[in-house]
Amino acid sequence: MVSASVTQLVEFAIDGITQGLVLALLGLGITIVFGLGGVLNLSIGVFSAIAVVIAIELLGITSSLPLSIVLAVVAVTGLGLVVDKSLLSFVYRSEGEERVLLGIFVTLGLATLLDGLLVIARPSSYSLSVGVPSTTVFGAQIRGSSIAIIVISLALFAGLYYFFRRTYLGRATRTVLQDETGAVLCGISPRKMRTLVFVLSASIAAVAGILYSFTQQVGAAEGFELTILALIVSIVGGVTSIVGAVAAGLVLGLIATFTSAYVGAYVAEIALFAAAIVALLLQPEQVA
Amino acid sequence: MIHALLTRVGGTDWETIRLPLVLGLLALVPPVVFREGATYVSRLIILAAIFATLATALNIVFGHTDQLFLFVGALTGIGAYTTALSAEALGVSPWATLLIGALLTGVIGALVCYVAARLQFTVILIAILTLALQFAVIEFFVGARDITGGSTGLIFSGLGFESLQEGFGIHEHVILYYLVLALLGATFVFYEWLRDSTYGLAFDAIRQDEVAAESIGVDVVRYKVLAGFTSAFIIGLVGPLYAQLEGFVIPGLFEFQVIDVLVLIILIVGGMRTLLGPLVGAGLVVWIDEGLASTGEWRTVIFGALLIFLFLYFRQGVVPFADRILNDRFRTRERIATWRES
Repeated sequence: MVSASVTQLVEFAIDGITQGLVLALLGLGITIVFGLGGVLNLSIGVFSAIAVVIAIELLGITSSLPLSIVLAVVAVTGLGLVVDKSLLSFVYRSEGEERVLLGIFVTLGLATLLDGLLVIARPSSYSLSVGVPSTTVFGAQIRGSSIAIIVISLALFAGLYYFFRRTYLGRATRTVLQDETGAVLCGISPRKMRTLVFVLSASIAAVAGILYSFTQQVGAAEGFELTILALIVSIVGGVTSIVGAVAAGLVLGLIATFTSAYVGAYVAEIALFAAAIVALLLQPEQVA
Repeated sequence: MIHALLTRVGGTDWETIRLPLVLGLLALVPPVVFREGATYVSRLIILAAIFATLATALNIVFGHTDQLFLFVGALTGIGAYTTALSAEALGVSPWATLLIGALLTGVIGALVCYVAARLQFTVILIAILTLALQFAVIEFFVGARDITGGSTGLIFSGLGFESLQEGFGIHEHVILYYLVLALLGATFVFYEWLRDSTYGLAFDAIRQDEVAAESIGVDVVRYKVLAGFTSAFIIGLVGPLYAQLEGFVIPGLFEFQVIDVLVLIILIVGGMRTLLGPLVGAGLVVWIDEGLASTGEWRTVIFGALLIFLFLYFRQGVVPFADRILNDRFRTRERIATWRES
């Protein structure tokens, strides 16, 4: 009896970590763009949804899951580049608080536009099946989708860590994050770094959406929901902290899974928002 | 055009007659426009008036004290649910519980502003805080089935005058329109008074430079809380009227995408910190939205594109824009007049 409940706890924990890693990716997409450019990208969830829909479409043509996923991520990355070069150029013309507000409004408009397009193209929601078999470790059953999500997201985090710590480009990006004037003096163009980071965030969002669709249905209807989740993770993590976003994703994933299992699904949703509000009240200076 | 004309022809001061004139014109809408059987049009007009009131409320708290409320939908919902549920629980008419809902939302607005002002939140922080609240509240409306009836909600129709409807054969929309108009008018009068009062002056001082305002003795926290209470109170009053129009109280009515997005667009397109901006904006947005209905599924896409365009190029709003053009023209005329005289 005791071992059964322990097994169940372990299973819930694995579910929580799985959900947490996806949340962390979503939050990261918001965090790096806000940290670097002061734009709170409210269309990020729609990017994720578009990635899922494209992957499903491509799967019908290529019948290879990895290839479809890669192509979908590339497509959404391209979309990110177009948005950065067109819309965000206007936003970056303004400064300070006005830029933040303009960023919110413009990306909100973009989310509405893309959402509308998605509804026209493919109105329903989809989930991708990974085809990885479930395994049993010490009596605890781990779903194949969980294994795939954990492996892919950890690999992505490792890659991002390497990029931001070890490569010149990554370091240059962090320089802008810490001190924009200093970065300019070192010959780094903040605008170019912003483009790079926005495109990066679009591809992270695409991967996050596809991983999310391994366990849930994703489509036009879920786009804004994903944005809000991303926003919460980013806030709890301190909005401009990359490590914070990852930690926040994991914590929130665990909170959501356990509250959902023991209290109820809607309380779990409220718990997520409550966590965001508490984080805001405790550490406002980090967010501003 | 009217502005210039009135000042030129009658020599009347536009500022003083504009409010009675606009409200008088709005009062003429039902006999002129409403038709028996055409409830579709009358519903849209009432909806525009409701959104104009919400936008005016947001104008006070966001336009004048820089506190961006992104939970107007949640506040509207709290007002509606509280009024409906407490009327049911107490066994009285919703008329009696209207103020309970409004007071509760007012207190929530005040509390949020108090916490935010105390912790010295920037506009972006309040925006995120209230956005999180918005979604938590909607989640509660959907989830707490025992209290709110879940996503199927409650039927609501208590804010009518049945004796008037039956006795004189007046359509319920006509009555509801005048109710909403009374609230909109009261809000307008209050807003006009507020701007010229010490409060308005304090709000301006706070918005321009908080530290400087504090240093000359303006109690920043108090004024911000007052602005938050006032706006939330008005929004709480709108809630039950909105529910009366729709005939029920369901979570879907109060979602971020349904209320907040529209109210923000209305305020910004109409013009922040103007009296008539919210009214012009509401009329325009409801009209555009209706016009787009013929485009079918492309409606959302075009609306989104329009949003981006308006925010990028029309941020000062229609009313300030029109005002500027008219003023320029007016000054040209003035110059011609003086040139002729000489």
